[in-house]
This record gives sequence, structure tokens and C-alpha cells, in this order.
Amino acid sequence: MPEDVKPKPSPDSPEEMSRRQFFVKLGVGSVAVAALGTAAFSYEYLSPNVLYEPSPVVDAGKPDRYAPDSVTLDPQTAIYVVRTGEGFFALSAICTHLGCLTAYKPDLGIIACPCHGSKFNKDGVKIEGPAPRPLPWLRMWLSDEGNLMVDRANAIAIRQLVRV
Amino acid sequence: MSTPKDFLAVVDSDARKTPRRIAFITKRTSPQVRVKDEDRVMTYPEVFFRATVAIETLAIALVITALLWDAPLEGLADPMHTPNPAKAPWYFLGLQEMLHYFPPVVAGVLVPGLVVMALIIIPYFNINIEAEGMWVKDKARRLRIFGIVVVLFCIFLAVFHVWVALVPTLIMAALMYMAAQTDPQTATGYRRSLVSKPLSFWIMTWFLFELVVLTVIGTFFRGPGWSWVLPWKGAL
Amino acid sequence: MANTLDQLVDQVRENRIWRSIFRSGTGESNLHKSLFVQQNVFLHLFSIKARKRTLEFSATWYLGALTFGTFMILVITGVLLMLYYHPSVPQAYADMKDLQYVVSSGVFLRNLHRWSAHAMVFLVFAHMFKVFYRGAYRTPREFNWIIGVVLLLVTLLLSYTGYLLPWDQLAFWAVTVGSNIASAVPLMGAKIRFLMLGGTAVNANALLRFYVLHCVILPLAAILFIAVHFWRIRKDGGIYAGDHSSEGSNQ
Repeated sequence: MPEDVKPKPSPDSPEEMSRRQFFVKLGVGSVAVAALGTAAFSYEYLSPNVLYEPSPVVDAGKPDRYAPDSVTLDPQTAIYVVRTGEGFFALSAICTHLGCLTAYKPDLGIIACPCHGSKFNKDGVKIEGPAPRPLPWLRMWLSDEGNLMVDRANAIAIRQLVRV
Repeated sequence: MSTPKDFLAVVDSDARKTPRRIAFITKRTSPQVRVKDEDRVMTYPEVFFRATVAIETLAIALVITALLWDAPLEGLADPMHTPNPAKAPWYFLGLQEMLHYFPPVVAGVLVPGLVVMALIIIPYFNINIEAEGMWVKDKARRLRIFGIVVVLFCIFLAVFHVWVALVPTLIMAALMYMAAQTDPQTATGYRRSLVSKPLSFWIMTWFLFELVVLTVIGTFFRGPGWSWVLPWKGAL
Repeated sequence: MANTLDQLVDQVRENRIWRSIFRSGTGESNLHKSLFVQQNVFLHLFSIKARKRTLEFSATWYLGALTFGTFMILVITGVLLMLYYHPSVPQAYADMKDLQYVVSSGVFLRNLHRWSAHAMVFLVFAHMFKVFYRGAYRTPREFNWIIGVVLLLVTLLLSYTGYLLPWDQLAFWAVTVGSNIASAVPLMGAKIRFLMLGGTAVNANALLRFYVLHCVILPLAAILFIAVHFWRIRKDGGIYAGDHSSEGSNQ
């Protein structure tokens, strides 16, 4: 003989609910709210508010350091400072395929990636290889002291040159 | 069975609710089987729900405590600079208090080692299993032994100036003596409950009392240089 | 609306994927209640039925369950705290400041961990005294009492190793005092201290050892002994309720 502790079946009218059902719903509802709250707070806890990493903003030094019509790689910060006849711009040196550090080949006048053979021209546009996108242009400006500043966290869509 | 049945076996139980084994003893034998039927309930939900409520209540209390009070954090560890006093966590303060009176070998190794040993062997001593009142049998002789042990121990504590341990010991000894003088037949109230307590009860209660007293003293009544302070007044 | 919610729940429960995970199904019968315990890898450590008298509050004050509850809180908060803590000197202290002031809910988790730790030490002592005073250590439960003493020591060691991790003055000198007491053990004292600290002084090696002890070795030991402790309760006849019918059973 099973010990049936099933609550009485709820009557047809939807307003009536036994006391047990009410408390069960209250309990389940509270647990659901608590679970949601816990999830929200856990997400906040797990995402760090402060990062102990180098700043994305790079000080590239005075513009005179760069020879006219040059492409200069800084391997530590993974950017190219490009000086053309019209001005300066910065490219990210990280290949858009799988993240390897590219290199500038002065004899060929192109930027090449050693990992899977992607090649880019001096504007970052892809010439060949598996890379899906061109090398992004990075936001560049002149600081108050007259230094070239590059923000690696901000790519610019429009080709803008910093004229000195 | 070779002989015809001459008994009627009636088993009154709900076999599905409380399963039991039935033994039919066909010959007249002397052993008696004493069986008590016990009401059983399903682990789920009875046990689990009760445990869950208990743990949830505790969790709520701890969460409220965590929201209201911050855990302490002092300055960066500096091997060059010892704070005064340098106190162990509260559960070791009883031990640290004893270090004040005895060398580390005794207070730090011997006493805790003996305590752990004593705890482990408790269930293997018949005296604990029988749980007979301490003063029920052989009262006069036991009182004499009790008196000698207490006097020797108190002298030992006094010689080392361990007043903090001496006072609780004297209080416990007084209670034990009072239990010895109580007549089990006519006693009322708490004296009645004390008179039937076995020796293991007294020793454990003495240990618990000492533990609490030493920890409280180590926490509140010891200041710089392990000097005696009154917590409500500051250092003497 | 409530009805459609119930219907939704029922639909989920009848779903094939759900039933492949939760095979016993639900129900109010004793069979379902038995299966809930018996078919679960974690829960089948417990017996299917329990004697009603053992569930009264006055029997145990639920101290054993409460101790286990604090242990669970400590494991959860501890693992979360580990994500922001580097066991190196002096980074550990900087991480404590980080948790207090920078990390979202960091101060709450740290506080909860600390107060639960104190609560657990207190509760484990209270549990031991309660078990003693109601005579629940007697035959056939002697060995479980010893397991309990072992768990008491593991709890104290967990608390002691955790105490060092903030690497503040309180931590450093408490551990210094403790390690000097360890060196007082005759014959082997200096060796014990050397092994404990991973050196002769309380420094980076000591912090790393205490970290591994606190986060890996001792919790594993605790979990193993807790499992044996629970198993022995069942095999020794269930929670002791001050009677004789609780001698070892085949539950």
C-alpha cells in the first residue's frame, strides 16, 4: 500500500490552490529568484574589474624617428608605424588568420606572415593567403608632447593619416 | 518439521512498511529475543529536507554575518617586526595560554598529544560503556582516591602558578564532591542528575570547562607581552 | 497560467532526453522515494529508510549536518577565492586587498569564507561533545568515533593552513608560533618543522606548501573521511537514539 501523500487534486476553478501547492510554488519561486541572483553575482565576480596587463595605448616616440616611406615594426607591442609621403598611420602586426606576428619584407615591399603564408601590402590589404580580413588600421594621434600615440584597442575603419 | 505444530504464530506487522526477519524456534530454548519495533520513514524526503532546512538556516546566519562584519586583515607580513601580542587563532589560544606556564614540549606536544590519545581510546574502555554512576559503588574508597588525585593535581597546578586551570578544577571537584554526598533516593533537581553521572562524564566536562576558560582568557584577558588585561579597562 | 506551467514541467519530465538522464522518474510512492536515494551515485551513501526518532532535534541538534554544511560553504567560497589568489610572496597580500576593494563581491566571499571557517571549528567541537554526552560512541560505533577524531584534526589543520594564506602580520606570526611549537616535538621536532615549512623560515616555500595542503591535500582527506564517516553511521545501525534496537543492521 503506497503511502500516498499526493495533494488533493486541484479543483476546476483556477483560483483555488491547496496550501501545500501554494507553499511549493512559493518555495520553487524563491529558489528560482535566488538562483538568478546568484548567477548574476557570480558573473560579476568572475569578470575582473582590473587587469594587470600592459596598457593598449603605445607611445611610438617622435615622428622624426621614422624615415620617410618606411614601415617600422615594434615586435613588443605588435604594431607597424608606417610613414608615407602624406603622413603617418599604424597597422596591427598581428595576422588576422590565427594571430601570429607578421614581418615586413623590405625587398618585396610586403608584410608576410610566417605561419600559413598570408601576405599583405603596406596598406594592410591582403594579397594572398588564408587570412580572412586585412590588417586593421589602429587609431593614431599626436600627444601634447608631440609623440605619436597608437591605441591598439581601437581600430579605425576610415583611412586617416596623421599629418605632421 | 517432524512434530506437529503446537503453537500459533501471529505476526502483527506491516511487512512492507517495516521489514523484519522472523525466527521460529521450534524447541524450547532459553535465549529470549528482545525486539522493539521502530517507526521508520523514507530518507527522501524526511531526512534530506530536515538537513536542508538546518543547513539553509545556518547559511543564512553566516551570510548575514559576512555582510555585516569584515574579516580582519592586518598589515603586510613583516619578519622584522613581531606584533605584540602575537596571538594564535582562537581555537589554539587555550594552548597558547598553557605555553605561558609550561615549556613548549609540555604545552605544545605532550598535552595535545595526550588529549588526542585520550579521545581516541574513550570508546574502548568499559568504564565508559557501562556508564554507571561514579559514586554508586564503593563510595568510601573512591572518595579517598578522588581526594588524593585532586589534592595532588591542585598542588601541581599551584606550584606552576596555573591559577587559570586551578580554579575550574576546584569548581569541578566541588561539584563531584557534592554529587558524592547526594542521596540518589531523595535528591531533586540538578543534584539528582549529577549523582548518577559516570567518571567519564566528569572528566569530559572538566576538559570542556578548562577548554572554554583557557580560550576565553587567551582571547580577552591577555594583552601585550601576554600580560593580564581586563578587556573592559585596557592594559593594567 | 499556473496550469500551463505545470503542464510544461510535465512535458519536460516526459521528454526522452530528460528521462535518459533521470531514469527513475518522479512520483509520490515509496518506490519512487526509494529510487531517488538508491539510484543516485552521491545519495546512495545513505540508507533508504531512517528511524523516525533519530530525526528529532533534541537527539543530535543536527550538529553533524551543520558541520557538513559549513564544509560545503567553505569548499564553494574557497574555490571561487582561488581564482583571484596567487600563492606567492608578496602577491598574496596584494590579492587580499584586491578581493576586498576591487573584485565584485570579493569582500563578501572572503568574509563568508572566514566566518564559516570559525563556525566549522566551533561546530565540529560541539558535535564531538554532543556525541560523547549522549553515548553515541559506544559499540558498535567506536571506529566511527575515531574517524570523527581524525576529522577534528583535519578541520583544525585546514583552519591552520588557511590562516597563513592572507600573508598579513596576523597570519605570519600565528604560523611562526605554531611551527615553533612543532619543533618542540622530541627527537623529530626540527625535521617536522623543516618539512612543514619547506625550509627553515616562514617564507615563500611555506606559503606554497600551506596553499597546497589547504586547497588540495586536506580537502581530499576531509572528503574521503566524511564519506567513510557517513557510511559507518549507516552500517553501525543509523544515528544513535539512546536505545538498543539500533545495533548493527543490514540496511
